Amino acid sequence: MEMMIRVIAIIIEVVILMAITFAVLNGVRLTAFDLGIGQKYSKVLALAFLTIGIIVVVFFIAHLTTFYPPG
Amino acid sequence: MSVRELFWVGQETYIMQIFLPVIIGVLVFVPLLVICFAFGFGRHYWLWKLGQADDRSGRWWQRLVTTLSVAVANIRIIREKELYPGIMHALIFGGALILILGKIVRLFSYLTGITTPPQSVYLYASLVSEIGAVLLIVGGGMAIYRRYIVKPPRLDNKPEDSLIYVWVGLILLTGLMVKGYRIAISEVSPTDWALWSPVGYLLSHIFPTFITEARNEILVWHRAIIHTIPAFVLLGYIWVNRSRLQHILLSPLNIFFRSLRAKGALNPVDFETTELFGVSKIEDFTWKQLMDLDACTRCGRCQDACPAYFSGKALSPKQVILNLKDHLYEVYPVPLLRKHIESRKDMISEVITEEVIWDCTTCRACQQTCPVYIEHVDKIIDMRRNLAMERAQFPETAQGALKSLTDRGHPWRGTTATRTTWFDGLDLQVATEGKAIDMLYWVGCTAALDERNMKVSGAMVNILQAAGVNFGILGAEESCCGDPARRMGDEYLFNTIAESNIEILKRYNVRKILTTCPHCFNTLKNEYPQLGGNFEVIHHTEFIAELIRDGKLKLGALKGNRVAYHDSCYLGRYNDIYEAPRNILEAIGGIERVELGRCGTRSFCCGGGGGHMWMEEEPTQRVNERRVEEIIEAKVALAATACPYCLIMFEDGVKAKGAEETLHIRDISELVAEALGKKG
Repeated sequence: MEMMIRVIAIIIEVVILMAITFAVLNGVRLTAFDLGIGQKYSKVLALAFLTIGIIVVVFFIAHLTTFYPPG
Repeated sequence: MSVRELFWVGQETYIMQIFLPVIIGVLVFVPLLVICFAFGFGRHYWLWKLGQADDRSGRWWQRLVTTLSVAVANIRIIREKELYPGIMHALIFGGALILILGKIVRLFSYLTGITTPPQSVYLYASLVSEIGAVLLIVGGGMAIYRRYIVKPPRLDNKPEDSLIYVWVGLILLTGLMVKGYRIAISEVSPTDWALWSPVGYLLSHIFPTFITEARNEILVWHRAIIHTIPAFVLLGYIWVNRSRLQHILLSPLNIFFRSLRAKGALNPVDFETTELFGVSKIEDFTWKQLMDLDACTRCGRCQDACPAYFSGKALSPKQVILNLKDHLYEVYPVPLLRKHIESRKDMISEVITEEVIWDCTTCRACQQTCPVYIEHVDKIIDMRRNLAMERAQFPETAQGALKSLTDRGHPWRGTTATRTTWFDGLDLQVATEGKAIDMLYWVGCTAALDERNMKVSGAMVNILQAAGVNFGILGAEESCCGDPARRMGDEYLFNTIAESNIEILKRYNVRKILTTCPHCFNTLKNEYPQLGGNFEVIHHTEFIAELIRDGKLKLGALKGNRVAYHDSCYLGRYNDIYEAPRNILEAIGGIERVELGRCGTRSFCCGGGGGHMWMEEEPTQRVNERRVEEIIEAKVALAATACPYCLIMFEDGVKAKGAEETLHIRDISELVAEALGKKG
């Protein structure tokens, strides 16, 4: 039971962190266009931010599974 | 040990470990936050600077008071009586305000020493923040439900809007979670947490794994930082620059710089100095008109109020503003560089089509309802001016009216009547030099030349004579006031007509002018002063109401009629005359006065303004028929108006609806003239 709670808690945490990462990176992406980066780089930017996002989320998962209290 | 000190005991370590890094983080990011705001605002500012000059200075106190009452007290939304969006906005606005206040106190509580021992202000700040967060969540939930589930047609959603919901939602959620974590690991009595941090206390139960202090420290610490950094930094940029939330800054600014000139006065063109005849490029708009584009919250109230949109025409005032805004950012893709693209669309044919530009009846319903004082009508007229004066592109019927104005001094082409036809057989004093008259009765083209409206001018004469008023008319010397020319964009013709009229009026030493036409009334009162014609102008409804009040008119009773009064746009919304016509109807016996569904400031246009009196409409898109349908719904036998255009438009509408037997349209002066001498 405790193990299950721990897994659910980590999942909730990861979902929240993913949403934060999504919102931050999207904000940065929109800012990049305002700074003069042309729309033709839209796909490249999206890909770059997706990569960063995945790395960040993987880090969070590793971090949480390492440090999350066992209960 | 007191309860409050107890409240803190288990927390002291965590305050040190959580708050200090958060404060350091915030202080590090404050310069970045300032840069974000400066950049975001500069992006708008440099675009506005591209616009033409427009003096919006002066009367600072009045500007400030209105800004506070509209932006803080949301007085315009309250006035519209829109319950759901009103409550939603109040919850979001009020919630955010108290949340931020509570946050500021709590954030700097460690530095100010109010945390050890915790003082009331800190505990109340904790409670207040949570109440604010709950209000914000409820309001945000209502907004999401409305935007993504109900989806009223007037609203549209962009990806940035969804992003901001996610963003704000996360900040609130993580903020409350941080509290929940702290409570979960503290040793303080639950009762105290429930009192000062009720939401955090509830959340603390959802995380039962948090019991070991040492293991939780690092988690709490990093969550606090994750919560803080996005809240203070990127939000700052998106807030000002991208999302719908930019209205928090731009709307008050737009309200502050709103026009304070008379509502019915269009911007004059100085033909001596100007090189621009209307607006054909986005930079031809004034800086304030460009600010309007940024300030639009896309609420769609203007679209809902627009008679052209309601009757199925191409015009949507909201879309005009948004299309112009998109065009602005398309022409200047990197605003801070202020460099426009080489080849751009033609603004007044491709971005805003001619059809849209000519659809507007200038009824001002859009401006009346706009919560941030966007000035739609001026922009449309400016674009018309360019079409009229630079390109000579008009709808064919409008061209006919303008040609008649130029050749015959009135827009009623095809009429065989002359300026003197209507008073054949009446003994009236025609103004002559050296002979004083108390008041000039300015008849207006429609009341002088349209057969139906001649009855109105006749009724007005009866009233004036019954009250013993010393009045005169200009007779054959009267010309159009120029309103149709100005509203159709021919500013040069308007100037020519107005200057000639002012000269005539001055020659006869006219000081006070009475008119039955709200369009003449508006032009003579609000627009002639721009050309040096300053007269006291009074509308017949106000004058008759005054005569009744002074006991100079004795009115009897008319046959038991259920009567609705229709507010003309140029009398009501443009000149705030709402009470006088209603007072007159109340003074006539035997009448049961009822209000139409849309009345007063929300009255619906008859479809005749802005030159549309003389323009052809698609039979399926006639505004007058839509309004007549609303009048029929009110189940009245008679609709009273105080405008010659409304009278014609409604009589046409009644015929089109086949309701001639059951619904009659009369000018208020006709009812008064009929009631004169009748028994009470």
